[in-house]
Amino acid sequence: MEKSVNNAITIDSVSMEYQTAGGTKRVLHDVSYQVSEGHFVSIVGPSGVGKTTLLRLLTGLATPTNGSIAVRGQELHGPPQGMAVVLQDYTRSLMPWLTVAKNIALPLKRSGLSKSEVAERVMSSLEEVGLSGSGRSYPWQLSGGMQQRVSIARAIASRPSILVMDEPFASVDAQTRFDLEDLVLKVRADFDITTLMVTHDIDEAVYLSDEIVVLRGSPAEVREVVSINIPFPRSQVASRNDPQFAHLRTRVYALVRGLE
Amino acid sequence: MRRAWRWVIAIAVAGWLPVFFIAWWWHASANSKNPYFPPLSKIWTEFKANWIFTLVPVHVVPSLINLFVGFAIAIVLGIGAGTLLGASRTGARYTEPLIDFIRSIPPVALVPIFILLLGLDAKMRIASIAFSATFPILLATIEGVRHTNPVLLETAQTFRLTNQQILWRVRVPYAKPTIFAGLQVGLQIAFVVTIASEYLGSGFGLGAFTLNATDSFLIVDAWTGVILLGVLGYALSLVFDAVERVSLRWYYGQKKLA
Ligand SMILES: Nc1ncnc2c1ncn2[C@@H]1O[C@H](COP(=O)(O)OP(=O)(O)O)[C@@H](O)[C@H]1O
Ligand SMILES: [Mg+2]
Repeated sequence: MEKSVNNAITIDSVSMEYQTAGGTKRVLHDVSYQVSEGHFVSIVGPSGVGKTTLLRLLTGLATPTNGSIAVRGQELHGPPQGMAVVLQDYTRSLMPWLTVAKNIALPLKRSGLSKSEVAERVMSSLEEVGLSGSGRSYPWQLSGGMQQRVSIARAIASRPSILVMDEPFASVDAQTRFDLEDLVLKVRADFDITTLMVTHDIDEAVYLSDEIVVLRGSPAEVREVVSINIPFPRSQVASRNDPQFAHLRTRVYALVRGLE
Repeated sequence: MRRAWRWVIAIAVAGWLPVFFIAWWWHASANSKNPYFPPLSKIWTEFKANWIFTLVPVHVVPSLINLFVGFAIAIVLGIGAGTLLGASRTGARYTEPLIDFIRSIPPVALVPIFILLLGLDAKMRIASIAFSATFPILLATIEGVRHTNPVLLETAQTFRLTNQQILWRVRVPYAKPTIFAGLQVGLQIAFVVTIASEYLGSGFGLGAFTLNATDSFLIVDAWTGVILLGVLGYALSLVFDAVERVSLRWYYGQKKLA
């Protein structure tokens, strides 16, 4: 398969097996997909299908058993430059011994930025997520939603071209979830970031994405790629009332459940 | 005002038993003719004469210097070596049995060996203290550094931090509460060995003072030494707790909210 530079991420015939006590467990089978530059892509699928596994492969935290992954034309060997990752378990991914500001500065340790530039980045990132006043707090002093804002601020501090998130809003209440979804849309627009998100919430996937990848089966394969042609900018009220919205969520739901 | 009351109550709760105990001791021993259990009033008079502050430069200062120098060496060795061994999977696997074995020797039992090697001066005492206090710190550091939360480690990897940066900025800070548990045990051992190392061939130090006093049947003096040791040990643990509270504010803050 050709590796076009217009693709932020190219997944080429990727398979993944885990060695378990019960023998070899094949989780992904021959998964191919290309994330276009600038797109917002959601990966959905039943619980345990292999979404996190695929995401770990994309971030270079794990290596596929077969196939290859390239980020902006470069074959992956470990976490690539220009990609920021928000892991699933965000309450445990912020360093509890560092203040919010220092947490956000941590990924900049190898950036070569000066001290004042780092401080500037931290400030502007906090501002972007609406937490200007919280730099000196510790993460555990903040609510779950605010902690998640901090991890988004930390992710954008390095001005990545690609943002990868694993179920980023799984454990916050509904209102906070809507706010965070809109925050992600804003961040994506402000910085022109290619965004890849795993979620189990189909409404959320439809609301946020240009494209939804449905994983199904055991081992999982790409069951379908659904284009979401609801116009941007999106809003919680108007976009969710778009006639397309109901149609698309029903379709994705059916695909995830294997009803069609 | 409210706060002040809370302090008064806290002190009363913590203090009533010691006060009761001292009062009981004072009364029960008032007319004691038993040479081994002299009246507390006599001990107190002698205590003031000895320790406020006539003998402090001779018998307290040298002990404390040995203790602090020995403990400081143990901290550097224990945390330094522990960090390196904890960071390397194979390093810890190869060295752990030996460390466990040496640690199992009662610390005081090594004092005679150090006397053989180093003679009877302060060098020997400091070496004994440092050696025995190193092991709990070393083991705690290995344990803490090795078991970093995998989510934090992977997060740091996605930042493309170097292994060095991950070690000092993630693994060691993460291990700090565990390391402090090791430091606390290390300090207790250091205190015991400080005193025990003075039982042999020393004219100075609280251990020597107490032993010499009993040898010379100066029972009242011996009692004042024992009481001062208790006071010092208690003060050390208070200071340690305070340092720990400040250094691990994030840890206790987080635990309180959890
Ligand atoms: N390290 C691992 N070792 C063995 N099996 C694993 C490992 N990680 C995940 N799995 C298995 O792979 C499957 C997919 O897991 P995961 O990717 O976490 O699913 P999802 O994120 O879609 O819920 C599950 O059956 C899970 O038990
Ligand atoms: Mg998952």
